Amino acid sequence: MNSRAATIGGYIAGFALLFLIWHLAALYLVRSVLFPSPFPVFERAVVLIEDGLLQEAVIASMRRILQGFLLGSALGIPIGLALGSFRPVRLLLEPWTEFFRFIPAVAMITVAVIWFGIGEESKIFLIAYTTVFVVIIATAAGVGAVGRDKIRAAQCLGASKFQLFALVALPATVPYILTGMRLAMANAFVTIVAAELVASNDGLGKMLWDARLFMQVEDIFVALIALGLLGFATDRAFRLLIRAFAGRFNPTM
Amino acid sequence: MALVTLEGVGKTFRGRTGAWEAVRDFSLELAEGEFFCLLGTSGCGKTTVLNMLAGFEAPTAGRILLDGKPVRGPGADRGVVFQGHDSLYDWLTARDNIAFGLRLRGMAKAERRAVADRFLTMVGLTGQGAKHPSELSGGMKQRIQIARALANDPRILLMDEPFGALDAMTRAVLQNELSDIWAKSGKTVLFITHDIEEAVALSTRVGVMKRGPGGTLKAVVPVDLPFPRERTSDGFMQTFRQVHALIHEEIHPHE
Repeated sequence: MNSRAATIGGYIAGFALLFLIWHLAALYLVRSVLFPSPFPVFERAVVLIEDGLLQEAVIASMRRILQGFLLGSALGIPIGLALGSFRPVRLLLEPWTEFFRFIPAVAMITVAVIWFGIGEESKIFLIAYTTVFVVIIATAAGVGAVGRDKIRAAQCLGASKFQLFALVALPATVPYILTGMRLAMANAFVTIVAAELVASNDGLGKMLWDARLFMQVEDIFVALIALGLLGFATDRAFRLLIRAFAGRFNPTM
Repeated sequence: MALVTLEGVGKTFRGRTGAWEAVRDFSLELAEGEFFCLLGTSGCGKTTVLNMLAGFEAPTAGRILLDGKPVRGPGADRGVVFQGHDSLYDWLTARDNIAFGLRLRGMAKAERRAVADRFLTMVGLTGQGAKHPSELSGGMKQRIQIARALANDPRILLMDEPFGALDAMTRAVLQNELSDIWAKSGKTVLFITHDIEEAVALSTRVGVMKRGPGGTLKAVVPVDLPFPRERTSDGFMQTFRQVHALIHEEIHPHE
């Protein structure tokens, strides 16, 4: 059997099983208006899509995630490379990364709102914040993990310092960078919901918050499923991109 | 003039646990075109000698000359084949790995591709150039390493137990191929091994090292046997026994 077909078949069966368990649990186990079964949730989702509300929320959240994620990666990769390559830079910046990575982005929401207001900037700042340290640490670790013989082989083939960096250290670090970005993407989903819950006019977090206010349990479930599917799809897309562009780098994912 | 001269070379590593003298008073001259095997037990310092000649480590005593000039750091005039295949670049094809040194020198793509294909053929991998290292067997990867070092046209080829991790049959095949390649290319080779048969099969001279710490050259045995070498011939056996006796004293010093 084709392994791709098997993978897709597995996903479909896995999701179908999840929804079956949900359906049975809602019907026989919990039996509460606070725990709707899948069908009313789907009906509600269809209504929200027809009204364009779900798309609006999804687009708002995803745009923030992508902008912040790209900004955070664009900052994190060069900093991580410098940190991993130069000892003085590491000694200087490691306290920063080791300090800030323990202050979760969620805790930074308050200052973000004070500094940037409840507009786009605060959300992009928070996503970039949650992305940048993961990417820095993964990139620096990757630079440190370049095999000694890879470097030596290039040296005795006549590589200059710049060539060593550009043609050996950098490509050898790519899998680590991509792994860091993938982890950061998961963080970004956590952060965006929290940020939109607290301070936003749109997005999936706002949708969750409003639904709670008006006791629209189906809306809450629609938003939750949308988040799960988006995260799943983003992660798969990331893996596909990695396979397409960097499959030969032997990424461990 | 000798191609390579090592004069009273020594190496002492200093670490937290104190000093460790890996090599002591090591002297050797290598002539152009010879195949010299450096044979020794593990920990005798043979790899340290190669690393110093390659320029990866600086000697703490004595001096190393290549073409009469002191060795300072690694350079393209000394090609190295490493024991593991971790030195290949996973993200490049076999052909691009072989052409890596040429690329560093700025050779045009079409030209270096032609050179790489010639060396692919030389190591018996015609038509495998588009594969990546992850798609190649251990023996094939070592062939790529040899081709990569040779394509760069170094003055000397330094090989650090290149077949150590291979199974016995693959090793024998590669030994024969290396012998042919050496004969065709006329390169000077310094080959590190702990395998007596390998040393006698390949080399024009075998240098036996004393065991470490402070390993040094104990004896040099010339191997005047015609190529291709017949491993069951009397001459081969005789040389094998001679080298074996020298090594045996190092493994069992108190017998």
